[in-house]
Amino acid sequence: MEEQVGLAWHRLVNRLALRRYPAAAVTLSSLTREAGLLYRALGGDDGIALQAGAASLHGAERSWLEKLAGSGRKADLAWVDPQALRLPPQIDAYPEARLNHDLYLWLAALCAQDPQPQAPWFNRNQAAARAIIQHFPGLAALYQRLVVAEIARRPDAARMDADGAKQERAIRAALLCPGSVTHLPSARHPPHPVLLWLRPAAPQLAAPMTEKPAPDPVSGASAPQTDAVRRQAERAESIEEPGGLLLFRPESIFSWSEYAKIQHETQENDDADLAQAADDLDVIALARDQRSIAKKLRMTLDLAAASGDDHVLAGTQLQPEWDYRSQSLKPDRCRINLLPHADAAPCALPAHLRRDQQRLQRQFSALLPLPQRLKAQADGSDLDLDAYIRHHGQPGAADARFYLDQRKRERDLACLLLADLSLSTEAWAGDGLRVIDVIRDSLFLFSEALSVTRDRFALYGFSSQQRSNVRFHTLKAFDQPYNDLVRGRINEISPAYYTRMGAAIRQATQILGRQNASERLLLLLTDGKPNDADHYEGRYGIEDTRKALIAARLVGLRPFCVTVDQQAHEYLPHIFGKDNFIIIHKPSHLPARLPLLYAQLTR
Amino acid sequence: MPKEIPAYTPNADEIEVFQLAYQNRLPVLIKGPTGCGKTRFVEHMAARLGRPLYTVSCHDDLSASDLVGRHLIDSSGTYWNDGPLTQALRHGGICYLDEVVEARKDTTVVLHALSDDRRILPIDRTGEILAAPPEFMLVVSYNPGYQHLLKGLKPSTRQRFISLAFDFPSPALEAEIVVAETRIDLGRAKQLVMLAQALRRTADHDLEEAPGTRLIVDAAKLMVSGCRAQTACRVAIIECLSDDPEISRALMVVVAAIFAE
Repeated sequence: MEEQVGLAWHRLVNRLALRRYPAAAVTLSSLTREAGLLYRALGGDDGIALQAGAASLHGAERSWLEKLAGSGRKADLAWVDPQALRLPPQIDAYPEARLNHDLYLWLAALCAQDPQPQAPWFNRNQAAARAIIQHFPGLAALYQRLVVAEIARRPDAARMDADGAKQERAIRAALLCPGSVTHLPSARHPPHPVLLWLRPAAPQLAAPMTEKPAPDPVSGASAPQTDAVRRQAERAESIEEPGGLLLFRPESIFSWSEYAKIQHETQENDDADLAQAADDLDVIALARDQRSIAKKLRMTLDLAAASGDDHVLAGTQLQPEWDYRSQSLKPDRCRINLLPHADAAPCALPAHLRRDQQRLQRQFSALLPLPQRLKAQADGSDLDLDAYIRHHGQPGAADARFYLDQRKRERDLACLLLADLSLSTEAWAGDGLRVIDVIRDSLFLFSEALSVTRDRFALYGFSSQQRSNVRFHTLKAFDQPYNDLVRGRINEISPAYYTRMGAAIRQATQILGRQNASERLLLLLTDGKPNDADHYEGRYGIEDTRKALIAARLVGLRPFCVTVDQQAHEYLPHIFGKDNFIIIHKPSHLPARLPLLYAQLTR
Repeated sequence: MPKEIPAYTPNADEIEVFQLAYQNRLPVLIKGPTGCGKTRFVEHMAARLGRPLYTVSCHDDLSASDLVGRHLIDSSGTYWNDGPLTQALRHGGICYLDEVVEARKDTTVVLHALSDDRRILPIDRTGEILAAPPEFMLVVSYNPGYQHLLKGLKPSTRQRFISLAFDFPSPALEAEIVVAETRIDLGRAKQLVMLAQALRRTADHDLEEAPGTRLIVDAAKLMVSGCRAQTACRVAIIECLSDDPEISRALMVVVAAIFAE
């Protein structure tokens, strides 16, 4: 009873305090494409992704109802950092959906046109708004509509104290006529958040953390919850003092916290609780050895990439890595660990794939080398009219070779299939299958199909544990026959660690580059974007992978990516180029689609 | 034959370079994105130098005999018919091969003997060896796009030519060109150029190919005839760049940012 009354009260005050319009809400996912393209078109960096950003605390004075309801402490604002353009996951601040939609476009434009990024928040936003209004008449009209709505939404200056009112009036004047106000009067509270402006300060870059050996990520085939919102996070050293020292005031966890050591290694809470706790915390302090929490929840933390380590690796199988921050290719940055998979027990094709295999073999036998017409032959089945005319046009010419002949042509093709075996493939792909099962089945059917066409092919898999250990599994080399031993190896693939894509692609490029064929196809099969347990994440990984692929193209290979990541259109065009990838929307379709895709690619 | 010289606004010193190449009997290779004025430049130069122009748009089925010539049959028997390259040689004209990388590989072999100091065209079907007159000039063009990395020119071919790299004109110059071509007012021409520049920034990511000057000139022509700006941009620019309705819609957001209704 007590609980029900509490719940009813909570709902009531929340509804009264709410200055939002859920009925008119517009989500970021509904206009990712528009906002992203507008951002790039107006001069934004095309290497960065468009992502949802977490709400930030604004610290401004709230109405008494909001205080009562405990709401309105956070505001959804936009910002750009080196990794991504961050826009609110949902906008419902204005009563009309059209205005909420326009706010997204305005924010994307604002992030792209930022002439004074170093200026104070107040001046910087005015300068950016003025630049847009001057250059883009269409956006200027949109801005006028938004300003009217924003001023209507803002708290009444008459109800504030004198300083607060002065501040509020300055902001309104700056909104109405950007660039007209140079100084923001100070007040007891920070100003009420301005939804039309960028977030006052982007998350700070963290000091590098002391390296400790990272533990193996949690295993266990639980379905990770996907959570697209970037959370505010800051790095903190793991505190390893013995004894039960309380590092936080327990009563404050769910309300206001700057630092909390979430010791979740015991895994007592179920995942729903973890997600709720993450939403309630304002800043997630993250210590090195707890990274697995993020992995388990699959939430992305707002961490600036730590500056890299520089120790030199020894060994024979070394690959370089591209560092976009210094725009340089660092030699011998990654060590490839070739894993031969010698101990796999031979096995036959799994029974559930038999029907698909028969169908594919039928389809692929149609791909067998087509007979080619050879012109100007001494004898043949058809007349070569062109040769005949030439013969008559040159009466002196002696050769009477004017027949067409059919001759079988050999397919001259080599294909290397590189499969992502990182731990993220442990996730469920629907229909009771994990991504890794889908990849395994794809490898089986792909091999079955190719053994019909007699095209040369090789199968490799990769995963990585930082740059010193890029694990490269040989499932089938070019010179090995496809038999039960290879099937046994495919059968035993299992997910592990992370996805250092660039190094694996460079290794595959070397192997495929040694093949002598007129067409060489490098097929990458993956479920996500490049990442590893160090600075290899976000933009760093994407730029490195892109460089590795450009290098592959330069030696004459043709890279193509097949992915089951539904968000891949955010970053794959940048890595692979517009037409060189395909997103499989239902992962369970992949095993059947992959061989057909291959047929299209090599036609 | 005093024909009107097609208008061309130079970007840099390409006119002087072309004239010097002509005087020194050197072949010229022009590379640059689609619609940046390569063809117009060659037309302009041919008229300026007073030479007839033989333009061949290359495609993937174009073979050497399409350039050199072939035997044809009529009621009186077979006869030899000169191809455009041979005609240009016989008449001392300029032969322009547009998008030369698209042509079949055997065509470049024909060009080799013509583009070095021998300047001859052996026609093996008739046994004739044609020497190029001093007025003859070979000009080829291609578009080195990111997607066409595999379809580049062979170095052995490329190194025979004087190379001119074209790019889109600077914004001010491009606006001038749009005004000169269409008589549109400078304000709207500048907006169109701004749109083109915004779209070009997205080229690698969202579009296959950046929009050329030709597209915005087309849009300007429609606007001068009274078409609404957003409609003109949609039909003359956006729909020409993408067949994907989702991308077209996103591109129209950029149009709407620049042209208020």
